[in-house]
Amino acid sequence: MSDSILAYGLQYGGYILEFAVLVLILRTGRWRRWMGVSLYLLLLLSVDAVGRPLVLHKYGVSSTQYEYFYWLSDVVLTLGAFLLVCSLFRRACAGQEKIWDMLLPTLGAVFALVLGISLATLHEHYKNLLTIFMTEFQQNLYFACLVLNTLLYILLQRRQSEDEELAMTVCGLGIQFAGPAANFALVYLAQGNASFQALYQYLGVFCTIGMLATWGYAVVHVPQPAKVASKERSPVWASSALRS
Amino acid sequence: MVLAAFILISSTALFFFYLQAACQRALNTRFEQEYFRSIVNANRLEFLSLRKELEEYGHAVDYGRLRMTLKCDFLALTYLLKNAANVNQSYSRDESLLMFYFRALFVIVAARRIFRLSEKKAVLKLTAILEYFANVVGQRVSQYRFGNLAPSDYLLEL
Repeated sequence: MSDSILAYGLQYGGYILEFAVLVLILRTGRWRRWMGVSLYLLLLLSVDAVGRPLVLHKYGVSSTQYEYFYWLSDVVLTLGAFLLVCSLFRRACAGQEKIWDMLLPTLGAVFALVLGISLATLHEHYKNLLTIFMTEFQQNLYFACLVLNTLLYILLQRRQSEDEELAMTVCGLGIQFAGPAANFALVYLAQGNASFQALYQYLGVFCTIGMLATWGYAVVHVPQPAKVASKERSPVWASSALRS
Repeated sequence: MVLAAFILISSTALFFFYLQAACQRALNTRFEQEYFRSIVNANRLEFLSLRKELEEYGHAVDYGRLRMTLKCDFLALTYLLKNAANVNQSYSRDESLLMFYFRALFVIVAARRIFRLSEKKAVLKLTAILEYFANVVGQRVSQYRFGNLAPSDYLLEL
């Protein structure tokens, strides 16, 4: 009884926080700078608070449809997070096209590598699609995102970037990736032990809340960089008047 | 199997690394002025003298007193965070995260003591968290006017 209350509390707390951070970004007018984060939050909210409850309501918790929908939507969310990391790399490399040109194929190669390893696992475990394959695929994808995120964090540290917003976003994503990656690895090592699988129910939400708290902090407390007025050329009539 | 074990170990390590990095970045927030001094004086908090002691001698003279001082200051400041000039009477998300970080560091200090490792760095981080809390309380109190009371008088009346 108390377990389910805790699970529901975490679940609905997570939804409220997702909505609150999204509203906060929109209200503070930061959605242009936080475009990737806003889209990811929108995806998170539509899957978490709309899609999953609808399928759950229609088919029930023990149905195969819900199980498939849950894991496939989880893959979509992780892919969304991967794209978000790519967009953060783009932001970190703003104005340095050479680095970005070098990074873009690397990001593609990492994704291809994860997909390749996972497809090899699919070939081995195609009979256990929702147990072994999905666990390993998610574990690999989360870990790839975590490694990329860490590389981004190191890049920011090395360049002594003053973009505090970006640094906090990266820290938040790190929390979101590291917890579930460790949990999936634990499930895989424990050969699908039910109690470790149940742990994901809490750990996943806990990590999402950690990420949202960090992003919320960044939106509220990190000051927006001042807009530097671009040096405009004086109009023709003014320069001719000065010359005369 | 080896890959999964590697992922488990490195992901767990990175989870704590990012948690710590997020907390440290939050602690680096600059305040307009040093609000914490008035709060420390009004409530007779001791973490500043503890920090001075650590910086001078490299270690705390009395470990028992160190633990007690940090614990008492933490309790006093978290009480003030919740009740001093706080309309909602609750902690914000970042305050909750930093409180969790404080408790985790507190356990680490005890563990380092058991394994006879230097606890100076961890204790300095603990005092930095307390300084942050005191700054937040000081900033909040300074933004409100309580009749003719100065911020320190208001705190003494709580």
